[in-house]
Parts: sequence; C-alpha cells; structure tokens
Amino acid sequence: MLNYNSVIKNEMKQESISVKEISPVIKINLRGKKREFLTNVGKNLNMILPTEANTSTTSDKLTAIWLSPDEWMIISNELASKDTNKSDLYEMLFNSISKTNLGAVIDVTDQFVQLELKGENVYEIFSAGSPFNFNEFKEKKGSTAQTVLNHIDVILHHKDENILNLFVRRSFAEHLCSWIEDCASRL
Amino acid sequence: MFLINCPYCGERDQQEFKAGGEAHIERPKQPTELSDDEWAEYLFMRKNIKGVQFERWNHAHGCRKWFNMVRDTSNDEIKAIYKMGEKPPTQ
Repeated sequence: MLNYNSVIKNEMKQESISVKEISPVIKINLRGKKREFLTNVGKNLNMILPTEANTSTTSDKLTAIWLSPDEWMIISNELASKDTNKSDLYEMLFNSISKTNLGAVIDVTDQFVQLELKGENVYEIFSAGSPFNFNEFKEKKGSTAQTVLNHIDVILHHKDENILNLFVRRSFAEHLCSWIEDCASRL
Repeated sequence: MFLINCPYCGERDQQEFKAGGEAHIERPKQPTELSDDEWAEYLFMRKNIKGVQFERWNHAHGCRKWFNMVRDTSNDEIKAIYKMGEKPPTQ
C-alpha cells in the first residue's frame, strides 16, 4: 500500500534553506549485470542507465540514479496519481526484466521519502553532518552520491544549482528533518 | 579521519566503510573430512599481525560493494586497493 501521509506536515522554511517532501513519486530499484538487462531497460524506459559512478541520466519523465555498478534507482519526475497503488512503469519493468530473469525490479516508492532541499546554505548544513566532499558534486548538475548525513544513510541527487533531492528511508525521515531544521537555525 | 578509495565510487571517508576481516582465506574443498581442530583453524584463526595485512572491506553506506585492501596495521597506511576476484599485488 502506498503511504500518502506526508512525513513533514508543512514545508520547512528558514532564511537560508527550505525543505519540502515531494510525494507521491514513483521510485523503482533496478539490479542487473547482463548486457541484455541494460538494453532491455534502455528500450523500456527510452533512456540509457548511467554507467559512470556518481552520475544520473534524465529523460522527460524519468531520472535514473547510479547506486552501484549493478544497481540503479529510477524516479519519476512528475507526481504520480494519488488514487491508485499501481504504476504502469513498474508493471512494465517487472514483466520484461524480473519475469525473464534478467535482473531484479523492486518498487521502493514507500521505502524512500523524497525531500527537496533548496537554498544557498544547503552545503553548509551537509558539511555539519556528512564526511562527503561536496566540491565536485556542487559544480556538476546531475551528480549523485550515497553517503551518511548525521549517521543516516541518504541518497543525494543534484537537481539544479542549490536545489537537491534527498532520499532517506521513511523511518529516519522525521528525525533527519528535525536535525536539518535545528542545524539550519544555527547557521 | 582517513580516506579510503572505493574502487567503484572514488575517495570516501572511512566512516562509510565496514571492515570485513582477513582476505584470501580459502574454504576447504572437503569440509567433512577435516578434524575439529582443522575446521576451527579455518573458521576462527586469523593472523592479526602488526604490519602489512590483506583485508576485506565493504562500502556499507555507499555502493555496498566488497573489495580488498592491503593495509599496514601499525600506521593505517593503505598500500593497495583491488576488487574482489582480482589477484593480490605482490609487494
């Protein structure tokens, strides 16, 4: 069941940063190594999966984030319908990849919460809680990183200058938001 | 704080990684034919030397891939990093 309860009730806005949850967004985890897997996904999604580390590719409707040499996360750029739990995208991938044993397709829509972080001081907040070096990440649109933020596993995606998508496991989302809020209030 | 160069993701902080013990320990081909002592030797006994050691590491908070590392345990100097299945460097 899709959980449409928002983790943060209102958009968090402070002088230097704003955080809001983007939901519902379809998120799919893809795993596979074979060449047929890559071509099959490419055909189905009409886009190429990124093979270079810490990068992403974007089409009109979808974004593919590199997670590991054989793992990707596909997210929809637009909001999904609130009235149904089914997604055509998942069904299509499941039928063409999971059922033919080319790889694994897992719906992680409910597992991850997508937060949009916006503001000039986003990276200063990160530097307070993450050991990752953001110098290159900051400059390159579309770059991604999996790292820890305040000891919580997060996936980061550089959307635009000073705008990023942060994916965090649902059970940690509220805690992470309070930490960001607290951190932002001290900047 | 020291940096580890993950063969898949690039340079990351040590806190993203988990150590996985000594590398290149081969599982006995016929476990049923071993004595208890020999089995214990394979299962539990590790070198744990002061000096250059071959280890397995896992990028637990990143790509979640395993890889091998040659590390000097006395000063934490990383001598080499190579992927699983690759031959260990000779010196």
